[in-house]
Amino acid sequence: MKNYNKNSKHKFYSRKKMEKLIPKMKNRYFFLFFLGCISCSNFVEVDPPKNSLISETVFEDASTVRSALANIYVKMRDQSMVSGRNGLSTSMGIYSDELDYYLFDTNNTQIYQHSVLASNAIITSWWSNAFTIIYAANDIIKGVENSVSLSPDEKDEFLGQALFIRGYMHSLLVALFGDIPYITTTNYIENNEVSRSPIAIVYQNIITDVKEAARLLENSPTNSERVIPNKGVANALLARMYLYTKNWELAESTASNIISSYTLETDINKLFLKNSSSTLWQFKPNGISDRNTYEANQFVIRFIPGQAFALSPKLLNSFESGDERRNAWVGSKTSSDGLTTLFFANKYKSIFNVTESLEHSIIFRLEEQYLIRAEAKAHLGIIEESQTDLNTIRNRAGLANTTASTKETLLTAILNERFVEFFTEQGQRWFDLKRTEEAKNEIATIKSNWNDTDLLLPIPETEIEVNPNLKPQNPGY
Amino acid sequence: MYMQISASTTFHTPSISKKLAGLQATIKGEITDTNGVPLAGVAVMVEGSRSGVTSDIDGNFSIQASPNEVLIFSALGFVTQNVPVNQQNTLRIQMVEAITQLEGITLNAGYYTVKEKERTGNIAKLSAKIIEKQPVNNPLAAMQGHLSGVNIVQSTGVPGGGFNIEIRGRNFLNGGTEPLYIVDGVPYGSESLASVNISVGINGANISPLNAMNPNDIESIEVLKDADATAIYGSRAANGVVLITTKKGKAGKTKFNVNMSSTLGTVSHFLDLMNTEQYLEVRREGIINDGFGPLLENPSFDRIWPDVKNWDPNRYTDWQKELIGGTAYRNQLNLSVSGGSAQTQFLISGAYQNETTVFPGDSKYGKATVNTSINHQSKDDRFKINFSTIYSRETNNLPRTDLSSEAYSMEPNAPELYDENGNLNWENNTFDNPLALLQEDYEVNINTLIANAGISYDLTTNLEFKTSLGFTAYNLDSYRILPNTARNPSFGFTPESYSTNTTNSGSRQSWIVEPQLHWKQQWNKLGMTVLVGTTFQQQTSEKFVISGRGFPSNDLIRNLSAANTLQVLEDSDIEYNYQAFFGRINFNWDRKYIVNLTGRRDGSSRFGPGKQFGNFGAVGLAWLFSEESLLKESSFLSFGKLRGSYGTTGSDNIGDYQFLDTYRVSGFNYNGVGIIEPSGIFNPLFGWEANKKLEVALELGFFNDRLLLNSSWYQNRSSNQLIGIPLAATTGFSSLTGNFDATVENTGFEFDLSSTNIKGPNFQWSSNFNITIPENKLIKFPGLETSAFVNRYIIGEPLSIIKLFESQGVNPDRGIYEFKDYNGDGNITGIEDRKFVEDFSPDFFGGIGNTFSYKNISLDLFFQFKKQRGYNSIRAQSVAGFRSNGSVDLLERWQQIGDNSPIMLATASLNPSFFDAFSNQRFSNAAVSDASFVRLRNISLTYNLPKPLKNGMNISMYVQGQNLLTITGYDGPDPEQTSQSILPPLRQLTLGLQLSF
Repeated sequence: MKNYNKNSKHKFYSRKKMEKLIPKMKNRYFFLFFLGCISCSNFVEVDPPKNSLISETVFEDASTVRSALANIYVKMRDQSMVSGRNGLSTSMGIYSDELDYYLFDTNNTQIYQHSVLASNAIITSWWSNAFTIIYAANDIIKGVENSVSLSPDEKDEFLGQALFIRGYMHSLLVALFGDIPYITTTNYIENNEVSRSPIAIVYQNIITDVKEAARLLENSPTNSERVIPNKGVANALLARMYLYTKNWELAESTASNIISSYTLETDINKLFLKNSSSTLWQFKPNGISDRNTYEANQFVIRFIPGQAFALSPKLLNSFESGDERRNAWVGSKTSSDGLTTLFFANKYKSIFNVTESLEHSIIFRLEEQYLIRAEAKAHLGIIEESQTDLNTIRNRAGLANTTASTKETLLTAILNERFVEFFTEQGQRWFDLKRTEEAKNEIATIKSNWNDTDLLLPIPETEIEVNPNLKPQNPGY
Repeated sequence: MYMQISASTTFHTPSISKKLAGLQATIKGEITDTNGVPLAGVAVMVEGSRSGVTSDIDGNFSIQASPNEVLIFSALGFVTQNVPVNQQNTLRIQMVEAITQLEGITLNAGYYTVKEKERTGNIAKLSAKIIEKQPVNNPLAAMQGHLSGVNIVQSTGVPGGGFNIEIRGRNFLNGGTEPLYIVDGVPYGSESLASVNISVGINGANISPLNAMNPNDIESIEVLKDADATAIYGSRAANGVVLITTKKGKAGKTKFNVNMSSTLGTVSHFLDLMNTEQYLEVRREGIINDGFGPLLENPSFDRIWPDVKNWDPNRYTDWQKELIGGTAYRNQLNLSVSGGSAQTQFLISGAYQNETTVFPGDSKYGKATVNTSINHQSKDDRFKINFSTIYSRETNNLPRTDLSSEAYSMEPNAPELYDENGNLNWENNTFDNPLALLQEDYEVNINTLIANAGISYDLTTNLEFKTSLGFTAYNLDSYRILPNTARNPSFGFTPESYSTNTTNSGSRQSWIVEPQLHWKQQWNKLGMTVLVGTTFQQQTSEKFVISGRGFPSNDLIRNLSAANTLQVLEDSDIEYNYQAFFGRINFNWDRKYIVNLTGRRDGSSRFGPGKQFGNFGAVGLAWLFSEESLLKESSFLSFGKLRGSYGTTGSDNIGDYQFLDTYRVSGFNYNGVGIIEPSGIFNPLFGWEANKKLEVALELGFFNDRLLLNSSWYQNRSSNQLIGIPLAATTGFSSLTGNFDATVENTGFEFDLSSTNIKGPNFQWSSNFNITIPENKLIKFPGLETSAFVNRYIIGEPLSIIKLFESQGVNPDRGIYEFKDYNGDGNITGIEDRKFVEDFSPDFFGGIGNTFSYKNISLDLFFQFKKQRGYNSIRAQSVAGFRSNGSVDLLERWQQIGDNSPIMLATASLNPSFFDAFSNQRFSNAAVSDASFVRLRNISLTYNLPKPLKNGMNISMYVQGQNLLTITGYDGPDPEQTSQSILPPLRQLTLGLQLSF
């Protein structure tokens, strides 16, 4: 009893009071009462588990914010349309004229045959994974803005990345779906009932975000492996957005800005290695899985039968003779009976990860900026300089200077150059055909199910169900 | 008459007994059964006091009592006798075996026990007698069909798997139906710790922790169903409570028991699948229908359909026989020793069993259990202590994937599994060899320890202090290996590049302390008992999943330190603290009118600050109208009771830490930076789910309780539902956990009938029957029409409904399935046209059992029945022509214009214009049919050798069968669980021998 009084954590009753309350309580079962009393609600409050962090503490320290950003890059690489399985490179490749599809997955078959349903699981996952990433970016923006312990430089670095990510994901969504909501908050009540904004507004928002990102990333350290987006990457996206919105002057100046600060990789055999100087931004592959890059894993044909994707005859025919890319970036496989030969994208070559990976998944590279500038200059009527930029790309692939010398012929030549340069890279071909209004001409001839409403993909059925404000569905679905 | 008392006595009359209080004297006596054999361990007590003794090995007892007192003689399985002392000094008591379960039976209600006759709540009991007759692995399997209101489905026929249990239906929209399990007073976590990364393919990552219990060690299983019985468990009792009591030692001669058995198990039903000729015919037809006929003759396209063009068209293999047609052998050995004195009793039992599978290869499941129990009571009977432990070790070595779906779908002309060198055959990369799966070993080792102690001390004759203490530890270690040899060699995988080992170690520890005070007092006709107690419980779980990849050789694959790269997939811990106060007050007027009040105040760490505590309570009433003077002398009605209860329980079954706004460590990294991700949308405001239970019951006994009928009606309403409210993807998440103002109602009737039909000296026959007619209904869901649940639920319909297309059969002109176009827009689309409602919850279910015994032979037959609907074989495959085999029914396909066929034209799935038709058919009412069944769940024939051998050894031999016969019109593998990718529960036949001496 004496001990009890000294060591007691009991807050409410002194021993004397207690004895008054229960005067006849005997020593031997006093401990029972004691047990009853330590039952203050503290017992049912627990510490957070070791595998999670309370959100506020994430933004108290730069290293945990980097971890939160790393999550986004991994999500982009593994689960989103950017890279990953069933991403833009494969599915939009078979939707356009880059690839033929040989397996029987319903979702890809729908896409390949232009009989897409609003319930298509691949398209649904593109939509929802993009918004998961956008939420994560918005949460970082909110957390970093409210943080009191991060330095101004750190804040700029993190906000810059998050704003870039937000802009980039919306840029892919708007190109695929047309009018989309532009999400800038983490408030789920608001986001749950959000409506779609017109395409022009979406592009405005993207440009605002990405411009701000480029400004904030002005002084951020350059990552030697270029696996984290920096100022150059933000500008590269900006140049692309100016091109998509036909703002030729800004497209030209922004692209020039980037071209002046990077060096073109002139050896096309080294272009897709991780040290290529042309690379602006690339994903570092997951070291443990059975692949180096998803690209090599998905495109390289190892067996026939069993192949999923092969390059279309149309793409193969689009290479001019003497184009070194035809050899360097295209592989072939012949079936064991010798009857079938198929060609595949061989930009990325290593499939198995035995030691260290030699290739990363490149998302932005300098060549695009040359061709953006070439296209912008052609539109602006600066023909010679346009030819120069186009020739820079052609010459390093072993091709002679372009013979195109008018705006129209140049634009056609640039479109074809983009086809043979960027094939199987994040669906760039499809987006080019769509924005140049060539999609119908180029695709309708090879896809018997072509319909003019195919320019936009359907908003996922389940999403319209949960949020009717997303109505109306895109035409044709 | 039940009481056959040799001494000439008169019944005591309580009114005068008080006045006759006299000196205490020593009363001695002998207790025997009706055959004159001395009975040990019979409890002898003076009525109204707590002091008592038990009879010794020779049936003798000695107790202090005064002449006006009454002695109570009780023993399990015998009718309790009240014998007034009067002036006698020696008593000869003959105990009569209870004919039925009613007399002398006490039920375990968790914190207290209650006489079967005087209970106010609904407690269903399964005794060792019934459990022992069933050759099963898991106590839940032994319960199937025996208890009204309890619906149990075995989730796989693979040994060491899981069970799904529903007590009085599904209460919650989020699907959690697990009851609270209490083993010898200790809550036992029933959530599986298996990792999806490792065992989702073989047992759905559902491993029942109750596998650790040896059914032979169980004395009884009590299921608490209504508010009166469950409210004392408060927040964890919404789905009912299952109390498991293990066997304890009994005073008397030391008894040895040996039980050996062997079991053969096979798949009970094979599907009637197409043979090679039929298969190839529809394949070709399908390819031609799809418009690829011309390519079929062009060899350069052979690679697309190797089964048609490359493989031997005359080859036939019955893959069901090959892949799931084996015999699973189980050998089991149980040993136990028990005995003790009147003061101290003990029991030690050990069991070992080994079970193989029906798959090819040498997969097996082994389990060893040790159960020990010690009870001691002081001479004056005031101090009692009991301690028991259960330890078990399970080792389960299985293929990584259940081969059932391969067995039902492999091409009948698929090539040899092995080539001439004994290596796996890949048939030039045209064949996915299913036996490659066997190279992917999965093994799980589970250690379980359940220890508990109960200490009680009588502070006064009326007041008892009691503490129960418990500790459980559950450790699960599993690994799955993926050697490069399990993949087609032409992939070029090497151990260095490909071989992988993923391991999971999960552990859970919990302790509980429950100090209690029990007080009871009898004033003349009014009896009152009071119980107050408090609970402290802590449970911690940890899980660590790590994967290693790239080994110098496959011989080193088990050694993670040899791996090139290691990746931690999960490293998590959970702490769950729980604290409560509980109490019970019971008034009993003249054993006629009983009022029972129970309550609990619960606090759980699963809720955020301010939301942790909740109050629960119930009132139960009973009226034993057969005790009224009007009915007391009735020769027809021997027992009659009307009872009712109403109260609240809750559920905190929502996972841990849900109220915290956190970032979760996922185990991946990017460029050397470990990643953290937002774990969900923050909602700190959620609280308990509430469940209100109402019950009215009538219990009747006829002809001296030879016929007992219990009937009850219940209505449970669950509200404040915690659900993942679906969100639009634009929020970044798919759902938000929160309380939702929806109400689910479960109502039902339960009837239990037991009768002793014939009780002769040589021949006895008894029967029991139970049936449950449940109804589940969503009665309230504000805003359902605009919510995301609009396509799942309908107000007024059960939660188990499913909305389907309405198939209109095959169009005789076009040859494809057509569906009712509900919205008339000319298209069959997912949302608007799935309006056909089917319900998968059972209409009724139950069991009927008969026990016959003639001299030394006894025969038990138990049939389980269920009326329900379920997915049929159309759900698995609705069309012929795919590159996978299917039912012969698919041959009745449409072939030409005008055909009236149940199945559409064959398609090889190469032409998208047929996609919608066959995939919609799989989600139409055509894919649902009656899945009712009557199943001979258990049959048991036991023969006891007539005379004990000279050393007193009893020998009995038995044959037991499980699932021997099923009567059903269902066309899939098994009506109990209607999946075609899971091994159905096996048909088992057991031969055994039991020795006791």
